[in-house]
Amino acid sequence: MVELRSVSCIAGGVRILDDVSVRFQPGAFNVIVGPNGAGKSTLLRVATGLRAPDAGTVHYGDRLASELSMLELARARAVLSQQVLPAFPLPAEDVVLAGRSPHYGMLPTHRDLEIVSEVLDLVGMASRRRQSYATLSGGEQQKVQLARVLAQIWSDTANDDGDIAGKVLFLDEPTASLDVHYQLHVLGVAAMLRDRGYTVVAVLHDLNRAVQFADHLMVLSNGRLAYETARPEDVPVEVLERVFDVRARRLRDAGGDGAYWSFALHDASDRGVSRRTDSQSGGAPATPRD
Amino acid sequence: MLKALSFGRVQWLLAIGLSGALLLSAAVGAFSFTPAAMVRHIAHALGWGALSTSDTLARNVFQQLRLPRVLLTALTGAVLGVSGTVMQGIFRNPIVEPGLVGTSAGAAFGASLVFVYGGALAAPTVIGSLVVPVMAFIGALAATALVYRLATRFEKVDVITLLLAGIAVNAVCAAGTGFLSFVARDPQARNITFWSLGTFTTATWRGVLLVGTVFIPCYALTLRDAKALNVLMLGEDEAAYLGVDPRRLVRRLLVLNTLMVAVATAMTGVIAFLGLVVPHMLRRMRSSDYRFLLPASALFGAALMSVIDVVARVIIRPAELPIGVITAIVGAPVFLAILLRQERDGVARHG
Repeated sequence: MVELRSVSCIAGGVRILDDVSVRFQPGAFNVIVGPNGAGKSTLLRVATGLRAPDAGTVHYGDRLASELSMLELARARAVLSQQVLPAFPLPAEDVVLAGRSPHYGMLPTHRDLEIVSEVLDLVGMASRRRQSYATLSGGEQQKVQLARVLAQIWSDTANDDGDIAGKVLFLDEPTASLDVHYQLHVLGVAAMLRDRGYTVVAVLHDLNRAVQFADHLMVLSNGRLAYETARPEDVPVEVLERVFDVRARRLRDAGGDGAYWSFALHDASDRGVSRRTDSQSGGAPATPRD
Repeated sequence: MLKALSFGRVQWLLAIGLSGALLLSAAVGAFSFTPAAMVRHIAHALGWGALSTSDTLARNVFQQLRLPRVLLTALTGAVLGVSGTVMQGIFRNPIVEPGLVGTSAGAAFGASLVFVYGGALAAPTVIGSLVVPVMAFIGALAATALVYRLATRFEKVDVITLLLAGIAVNAVCAAGTGFLSFVARDPQARNITFWSLGTFTTATWRGVLLVGTVFIPCYALTLRDAKALNVLMLGEDEAAYLGVDPRRLVRRLLVLNTLMVAVATAMTGVIAFLGLVVPHMLRRMRSSDYRFLLPASALFGAALMSVIDVVARVIIRPAELPIGVITAIVGAPVFLAILLRQERDGVARHG
């Protein structure tokens, strides 16, 4: 279980996070949404232990994140970033093997190599494992990164080192530059992990995706928690309109896949800008392909 | 092809190549030695057999000049090969080498200070003989740390910033060394000039011992970070997420590296581009995996430096070419090729 208590962060005299307390539900798909500059990335950096908060505490189970070593944290949680470009040419499988590095000494064990194969299979990249990472498409690269972070927190009965719900998968806008197939694939694999008992925490931009996948939704605005719910499809229209500064309309009731909301800019002052709706995305079932 | 061989096999091949290069380096020169003669001289040095008195000159040349030169050349090659490999990992960029990021120039400046002003300090005692390497280390560390700071100011290492920072710091160090050679009296000034292109002609057993004692522990400690260097390839944040503290790793490796480069530079002068060519060729030959690169770069660096030294000795016999002239002729085109490829990939990535 990961919990932030009264966390504040200040950078350049600006209060980026202002007394935020959140408890990520164990074994659930937690989603954080919010407009640009709301403090989502900072929240994630604090929650993952990469940045110490200026005030408040971060808890992993019954321990403080600040008490955990970087290696202990690396075994408890993994983070999928938007894009990772290795400095030198590497085959895809070596990138995935890096995910096992917190678990072995100088050389990977046989089990580590097995896990690499398992997760590559799971994300559907097994046949491309020897291909140079740099020559893969953006979507395929993200699948390989997903395999890497899965390998990092992979738990199995053969070598169980802790409870699965205590293992957290963080996703930092993982679908920002992906087409709809890869978006659904990445989030679908994360949902499957949730089904196995892992805790998932994702920062997402697309509100329709957020409603589609979230068990627990948090809306961040100006460094504060503006809204929190265990029924993401019931977020009031007014909250979204206020936080994102748009006109929002609920398209249909929960139950289907894809679009719940459509959005448009406010009024006459925006007339120069063409009306943009966000309702055409989605429709495919949320299961991983391959 | 090499790609299909295991890391161990490639390393065996490199070790065999290094043995050949060492033999060649020991045999060729103003004096040539047959394998049988070399065995006799080495056996004699170890006290295993007497030589006829007519052999005395050849024996002295071999034991006091040739052998230390062969070993210092190989050690320096290993130092520069490993250093280039590690520094590229630290800076996360394949154009980096000790000559580019100021390490060599800083070491040269520090050592020149002692040559010109520290005559009394650098007395021929044990302590005195350490003054030059220590000053070289201080100069090298200051220059390298400054370039690293400037180049990594914005999270990611930007090639342009890196190049500019390297140029600026190198220019300052070169200006300092140039000033020193200007105010110095002969023969110090000539020494500085010759030494700025690198040379193994002044190799002594003391130099071999010094470089060897510094290289071996530094290298052993560096080997332990092979896994961490692999993780750092993914970026500083990703390394931190995987349990590797990037700041501490970089600081540790920067000190170890600078130390061995500075001591080698203090003994041999500035030798550019070897640290660039070695990791580049090894990556193309086999892999970017540091568990392979770190052992392989020591073997390959030593072998390549030995061969280059043989060429320097032979090409304008009986005179000798400064080593840095040859490494620059070989290395500069490789440097340009890498730079151009990076530029092209960068464009493709953004476009």
